[in-house]
Amino acid sequence: MPDAPRHIVSSYEQELNQLRALMARMGGLVENQTALAIQAIIDHNAESAQAAMEQDPEVDALEREVESRAIKLLALRAPMAQDLREIVSALKVTSDLERIGDYAANVAKRSLRLGPTGNDISLGGLRSMGRLVQEGLRLAIDALGQNDAEKALDVWRSDKAVDEIYTAMFRELVTYMMEDPRNIGACTHLLFIAKNLERIGDHATNIAERVHYSVTGAMLPASRPRGSASPETPTP
Amino acid sequence: MPTATSVNAGLARRRAAANLAATALAYAATAVVLVALASILVTLIGYGIGGLSLHTLITDTAPAGGHGGLLNPIVGSVIQVGLATLLGTPIGLLAGIYLAEFGGRSPLASTVRFVSDMLLSAPSILVGLFVYLLLVAPFHHFSGFAGVVALAILVVPIVVRTTEDMLRLVPVAMREAAAALGAPRWRVVVQICLRAAQKGLLTGILLAVARIAGETAPLLFTSLGNLNWSLSLNREMASLPVTIYQYAGSPADDWVQLAWTAALLITAGVLFINIVARIGLRGQNRS
Amino acid sequence: MHSIQPHGISPAIDMQAAASPRTMIAIENLDFFYGQSQALKTINLDFPERQVTGMIGPSGCGKSTLLRVLNRMYDLYPGQRATGSVMLDGENIIDPSTDANRLRSRVGMVFQKPTPFPMSIADNIAFGVKLHERLSRADMNDRIEDALRRVALWDEVKDRLKSSAVALSGGQQQRLCIARTIATRPEVILLDEPTSALDPISTARVEELLDELKRDFTIAIVTHNLQQAARCADQVAFFFMGELVEVGSAGAMFTTPRQKRTQDYITGRFG
Repeated sequence: MPDAPRHIVSSYEQELNQLRALMARMGGLVENQTALAIQAIIDHNAESAQAAMEQDPEVDALEREVESRAIKLLALRAPMAQDLREIVSALKVTSDLERIGDYAANVAKRSLRLGPTGNDISLGGLRSMGRLVQEGLRLAIDALGQNDAEKALDVWRSDKAVDEIYTAMFRELVTYMMEDPRNIGACTHLLFIAKNLERIGDHATNIAERVHYSVTGAMLPASRPRGSASPETPTP
Repeated sequence: MPTATSVNAGLARRRAAANLAATALAYAATAVVLVALASILVTLIGYGIGGLSLHTLITDTAPAGGHGGLLNPIVGSVIQVGLATLLGTPIGLLAGIYLAEFGGRSPLASTVRFVSDMLLSAPSILVGLFVYLLLVAPFHHFSGFAGVVALAILVVPIVVRTTEDMLRLVPVAMREAAAALGAPRWRVVVQICLRAAQKGLLTGILLAVARIAGETAPLLFTSLGNLNWSLSLNREMASLPVTIYQYAGSPADDWVQLAWTAALLITAGVLFINIVARIGLRGQNRS
Repeated sequence: MHSIQPHGISPAIDMQAAASPRTMIAIENLDFFYGQSQALKTINLDFPERQVTGMIGPSGCGKSTLLRVLNRMYDLYPGQRATGSVMLDGENIIDPSTDANRLRSRVGMVFQKPTPFPMSIADNIAFGVKLHERLSRADMNDRIEDALRRVALWDEVKDRLKSSAVALSGGQQQRLCIARTIATRPEVILLDEPTSALDPISTARVEELLDELKRDFTIAIVTHNLQQAARCADQVAFFFMGELVEVGSAGAMFTTPRQKRTQDYITGRFG
């Protein structure tokens, strides 16, 4: 906390700072991994895809490291108030980040399978969705690093846009598949990719919620602003 | 160039030497005291034991060469010391309780404390003269009762001091705990504080007894001493210290022998009381 | 709820208020002075019935002073005085016309160090009871057994009730002191750092005991151990330099304190 006085026990302060540094590193890594994965689909870049997939083990290792340090802090320092909230939030954020890493790796893997798509399938929706998700994730990770509740609230509110694009894409891809069954293979991959990006957006929102709680102590309402009804629900 | 460790080694050697020297001095000083005490005891026993027999304990004093004993001084001492303790202790206890529990730092308490401490260190012959003027001169005769009063005056300040000190040793928390149960002040003092301090108080009383048992000066002007058997408090009364005073300077060998024996008896008695007091105090500290 | 609800109070909130416990002791505008220096400044605090109120804060913050106001312990010392109102059942505790000894039979206190009286275990408990009640020998024995059972000491001492209480272990002595306090059947029990001289197992026993006791008694506990306040207290009050900075449920105080001074204190960041 930049505004709080330092702990009387400096080793405690150090351990908290180490935890924060680990979180920052993990956040940066996952942000980068997501960017690579999106680049892999949009630009058909196999190298980016490979790089995104290769980062996964490191993200997993960081999650375990954060977890063990947070548990140690809880056990040995008996943190209270702000410190308690920060450490518990770190525990949850680290698993959000790990999930995001998994989704990014999955997107990258599918981009390789997808190969060059037929020119008749537009990637426009995916491009803007990728941009939005990336932006949201960046903001969430910034909010985490800076303990910025306002920024976290912005992320939390903006997830709505991602949901809307996802619904639109869903309809678009279903239309492609109905037009020409030969598109089904590619479109299914694209559908999963879109779903994964949407999930990354959800986890970014989760991170924002945790940051908001960690900083202010107030829980955000359980239901967050959603886009149009989930596309899985059959609509007449 | 000396390294840090060699400097420290030098320092440590000097400290060890200083430590050894101080310890040696402390032991030497202790030895001086012990040697003095031991030589007194050895001398007393050496000269006194010869006269110690059943005959000495059950026979009254007699003129020189009359084959007398020490019965009337022993009984006289026991009576006077006993009554003086009975008279002085309650006054001392109550005054000590006042100082520790109620007086605090009030002007009256400070005055009482000061006067009591003065009395504690006053020469005992002054007390004897005072009682002489008060209880002997007006009635034109010496009396055992006057001796009792003189000794009681010596008991009071000792008991006051030990009572106050012992009560102050009772933890504040214990008083508060009793008060917190709803106990009024007097109950806290009587049922808790005095009980907690009882071994210490007993020790103080025993020390006072030990002190007055050996007093000669106050008795010279009050009970005077009596060569004959008498239990009357209204007449002169014999006592061991006064008997020593009278016999020790006598040319008669048997009187000198009896003086040594009387001295041995007092010393043994005082030593016994001190040991009892110390055992009591040890119990107090443990609890 | 049939009552009219003014000022738009929602029924849910009103229900909550109805369910919350009665206030046992209500402190209003309490000031306390040690001679010239003011130790408590305009304290307003309620102690809910049958709940544990934990009082925390750095040394010299006034928390122990407040505890000693609640049973008028300060009366023992000249120069200490309190102004304001501390209401217990419609009676102002700090009003000089309130009988302090009777008050102390209603508001018991347990101290930092165990203070067994230099008498037998049974007499330790009987001492307080005898101050306020005349009991037959059989009734007194029942009372002693009941008190010792409630502090889970009965089985440990039932065969040596007549032996000295001073021989008990520290933890046993402290439980005896609690038994002695509850034997007089008070309504409120004050505890001034009751476990600071005890080992962890004895501490756990005392804390477990508090959980039991709050079924029947309103409890106020001063503690330097924040974990203890977190474990035992329903309501926690944070004092700093004679002021009550913040009061709230233990859950709220230790996860989301509202005041920065509370936050800094409980996270160990005092500057």
